[in-house]
Amino acid sequence: MLFKCMFSGSGGQGSALIAKIVCKGAMEENLRVVMTQTYGIEQRGGDSTAFVILSDEPIGSPIVEQDANVAVGLSQTTYQSCFEGTCKGGVLFCNSSLVENPGQEDGFEQVKLPVSDMAVELGNVKGANMVMLGAVVKKTGMLKKETVEHVIEKLLGAKKPQLVEPNLKAFRAGYDAV
Amino acid sequence: MASLKERYGQTLNLDKLTSYCPGCGHGVVTRLVAECIEELDIRERAISIVGIGCGGFSHHYMDIDAIEATHGRSASFAVGYKLARPDRIVFTYQGDGDTSAIGIGDTMHAANKGMPLTCIMVNNTVFGMTGGQMSPTTLEGQVTATTVNGRDCSWQGYPLLVPEMMRAMPGVKFLARETIGSPKQILHAKKSLKKAFECQIKGLGFAFVEMIVPCPTGLKMPPLKAYDWLRDRMIPYFQPQVFKDEVE
Amino acid sequence: MAETLFCKNTETFAESLARCGVKYHFAYPITPATDVMKRMAVILPKYGGKMMQMESELAVSSAVAGAACTGTLVATSTSGPGFDLMQEAIGFMCGADLPCIILDSMRVGPGDGDIVGAQSDYYMATRGGGHGDYRVPVLAPCEGQEIADLMPHAVKLAYTYLTPVLFVIDGVTAQTTETTTVPDYHDYSAEFDVSGWQYTGTEYHPKRALITGSYAHEDGYKMNERLRAKYEVIREKEQMWKEDSIEDAEMIVVAFGIHGRMCRDLVKKMRADGKKVGCIRPVTLWPFPDKAFEKLPASCRQILVIEMNHGQMVDDVRLAVNGRLPVHFFGKTGGDTPMYTLREMIAETSRLMGE
Repeated sequence: MLFKCMFSGSGGQGSALIAKIVCKGAMEENLRVVMTQTYGIEQRGGDSTAFVILSDEPIGSPIVEQDANVAVGLSQTTYQSCFEGTCKGGVLFCNSSLVENPGQEDGFEQVKLPVSDMAVELGNVKGANMVMLGAVVKKTGMLKKETVEHVIEKLLGAKKPQLVEPNLKAFRAGYDAV
Repeated sequence: MASLKERYGQTLNLDKLTSYCPGCGHGVVTRLVAECIEELDIRERAISIVGIGCGGFSHHYMDIDAIEATHGRSASFAVGYKLARPDRIVFTYQGDGDTSAIGIGDTMHAANKGMPLTCIMVNNTVFGMTGGQMSPTTLEGQVTATTVNGRDCSWQGYPLLVPEMMRAMPGVKFLARETIGSPKQILHAKKSLKKAFECQIKGLGFAFVEMIVPCPTGLKMPPLKAYDWLRDRMIPYFQPQVFKDEVE
Repeated sequence: MAETLFCKNTETFAESLARCGVKYHFAYPITPATDVMKRMAVILPKYGGKMMQMESELAVSSAVAGAACTGTLVATSTSGPGFDLMQEAIGFMCGADLPCIILDSMRVGPGDGDIVGAQSDYYMATRGGGHGDYRVPVLAPCEGQEIADLMPHAVKLAYTYLTPVLFVIDGVTAQTTETTTVPDYHDYSAEFDVSGWQYTGTEYHPKRALITGSYAHEDGYKMNERLRAKYEVIREKEQMWKEDSIEDAEMIVVAFGIHGRMCRDLVKKMRADGKKVGCIRPVTLWPFPDKAFEKLPASCRQILVIEMNHGQMVDDVRLAVNGRLPVHFFGKTGGDTPMYTLREMIAETSRLMGE
């Protein structure tokens, strides 16, 4: 198995956090993980992209170079690079609450999910990243649901225990939505 | 009559003739250092780190472990050594070129770190080994191979007063300038050198002694004239004094 | 105990140093190597050691040399501009037979250059680096796990041959965050008897003087002959490389560090397309693995060297191949994407293979 992922979002959307959760989850499942943040795709002000590679064998190229088989675009300004960065046979996750006129996929699958709206309904727009993470985990099967829930509990529980439940709720909502 | 070995002990290597020039101040300073090591009974755990220049020969005349560091870096070698072996007595023996030209950064930062180290700077105001060129401590107007009309301070700088630069550093616990122009001065110099070692033995901090000595060869003078020059020209500028003594 | 970490490879480097017995680390901040000293400052006290920040890389390498005289395992980490300054004491340590571990986390030059990763210190690393006739064993891990796996070997090399051992890691690999299993603590330097050469006072041995220049001494010639003999043994015994699918290869790609790692994918993808490509990845850059090129398969028609520079290791490959086959070069350095992508590497390899 080899997942080459890119998690993109604009300032405050928490794309880096879901990348971190995926990395920690992969470690719990004894997978090999590589994360890079600066190389490959141009960075714009406020936007950030974390590249994560998961595999059950030694990882070759540590660089995700427009060959992501899992791409997540949380915002309008980061969507285009995700669209261009998804490889054949991959899955592009689009936050349809914010992305206007998503592109017509060609050779890969596109999951359009209004994660920001769903998060608002759940009580806090900040949970959009977790909703998306739930969808990614379910759709790709890259990690077990329980693993990710455990990581969320551990990661957030240490400093902000009050955030564990709302985040788990958002994650599960996304998981059930696809 | 007592043999030389009985008189001077184990440290000074009396089998070897020094290669210092006649009248060179290094001979006296080397002997004083050896005497201090002997009297303080630290020979077996003393490490001499010498610089490049005539001072680099000093370790040949002492039966103690020695490291010939790269030019100017003795103080940094000493810092690394002392960190790894705080139980050893580590001292540097360097000339003015080594200490205050190429190695001024190493010297100052080692002093400022305040680790228990002893640094002996033998200042004769010229690069002796390479044939009498200007050093940072060359006096105003002094003729050297590279200041043929005398040092012009307007662009070649003023003679550097190294201990004065360290004075404000709290990590420096013993700081002195000494000379060897007369028996009295030699006795005084030995006292300071001994304190500079005691400072380290007690683990108090950095100790620095500048020794003002003549270099007859570099000055192109017979030894006696060089000593007159030491008295009349060098000592008025490089005034011997104990700047700081926090050893007691 | 052995532990799987998820951290930057610079931090993996620090963990590996500390777990293999390094007691003192000297360094000066410089990107992309600073994370090593930061991590060492935190972890070394746990192992009874210390990280000491010095005022320049000149002072760093001098302090390393001073500490190495005690027989203690010491290390430093830097990047190109700092590595330039360290050459003085590295040459000293080679002449004086002193062991230590050095990391050059390579960034683009010349001069201050930029902080993006590069492999352009290859010449400097493999040709000694300073004046005089000396070499330093150079290890070029391509990923975090290899850093951890090579570290015990590096310490053994340093103490067997009494020499500085240099790691070169391109800045991209150095800053990559990945999972690495680091070993239990074991001081590999403790397996060696250092009493024959350490300088710790006449209490332990007759007076010893460490003199590295040949001036004013009779042993300059002897010292160089001793070094020559040492380097011949290292050349003979310590070459390391990894091969991938070269048995029937028509094209062999040679790359080290990150490009060597990317060749795993290159070989896999091109083989899947029916193209007979193999890879040789030098792990030691000095000694260069000449032996890997002694018996190339008869199927091999050409060789392509890929580097993150303008062609440095390619010289060593050409020397090793000695005109038997055409040796091509593909490389770049600097810029936002400071190296060729896998896609570009595959395109160039395909082009040369006539497709």
